Amino acid sequence: MAVQLDLENELARKGHRMILSGQPVTLHCHHYNINLQKTLEDILGEEGVLLLYRSVEEAIYGGFKPILKHYNQIKTLKSKLEMAAILYQNSGLGVIHFQDMGPEGGRIVSNASHHVTGWLAKHGRRKTPGCHFTRGWIAGALEAMFQYPIGHYQVKELECKMVRHGDCVFDATANGS
Amino acid sequence: MTIDGTKIIHAVMEGSMIRESKGIIPLFGVYLSLFSVHYYNKLSFHFEKIMGKEREAEAQSLLIKAAQECGYATFHGIRNSWEWDELVTPMIEKREDQIQGFTAVAVAFGWGDLKVEELIPNEKLVIRVSDSYEANGYREQYGLSDSGKCYMLRGVTGAFMDLIYGEDYPDGCRGFLAEEPLCRAKGDPYCEFIARKSSHHPGVEKEG
Repeated sequence: MAVQLDLENELARKGHRMILSGQPVTLHCHHYNINLQKTLEDILGEEGVLLLYRSVEEAIYGGFKPILKHYNQIKTLKSKLEMAAILYQNSGLGVIHFQDMGPEGGRIVSNASHHVTGWLAKHGRRKTPGCHFTRGWIAGALEAMFQYPIGHYQVKELECKMVRHGDCVFDATANGS
Repeated sequence: MTIDGTKIIHAVMEGSMIRESKGIIPLFGVYLSLFSVHYYNKLSFHFEKIMGKEREAEAQSLLIKAAQECGYATFHGIRNSWEWDELVTPMIEKREDQIQGFTAVAVAFGWGDLKVEELIPNEKLVIRVSDSYEANGYREQYGLSDSGKCYMLRGVTGAFMDLIYGEDYPDGCRGFLAEEPLCRAKGDPYCEFIARKSSHHPGVEKEG
């Protein structure tokens, strides 16, 4: 059975509030998301990058856990990874493919993302990889999936479309691996 | 004709179900993403904490600026989109109605229950919000604050005036700046944003 996220039911409104799978969410555009990233990087450097990474990691950890609980027919690793990729795409964040994944980590490839499109549109090519949002997202999603605490995975970006590589390539490694 | 916010919410909810092949939400002429309010709150409030008391004003100013530049570019894109032309333009009778259109889109985006309380053309805009995710998030995480915490909405209020009464895009950003005299994070019953002309506005004489 193909994994599906029932977006029409999962994305709802409670008055003026927007809810995705029970979690309060909001729509923001690439101008805001990229402005926030640039502000953090410019002002705080590595500390700002880490703040962005950890903030996404914690948010998706809290958001993905109830989805996995709700869709309890999703039991296999393959289907959980598929659900994570669907959630990423349904959130308008782009496309990710998990490759050779296991509890110890693995490789993730993305050929398109909101942050890459937004960064290139606003600032052009970077000298260093810049998908800190996606790195944090992957870490938090894996921690929710494998039921590890926040911080268990370290996600590095090996190649990045913001520096004009063909794809964004991420490596996820579990602590102690 | 007044702006029908329900129609705009309906269009945003429909549109936010659409993904192009790259997994991106193209709606109202901009790329949108849907993400947890906890993320935005943690980012803003931890940034402020890391900057510390000495650089608190600078942190707030940077967050407001980031939001104002975003609001300026975003709502410029929105009002030039085919969705705006099709949905909102028929409801607009006078220039000032665009502000009602902007706030209706902001409500549809899940930014809060924005209401225009007062608009003096080219002078002053007052927006009231009783359920801002920023104020709620601050109170939940840190308790009562001693200053306004809705940096995103504060920047966006200024941007709305910039787009209607400022210089032509892209030269009019921050011609208006907003204050937040009332904020639920401080214990006030609602958040209130007041945008007025700033010293950057070409119609304001510089002091000294």
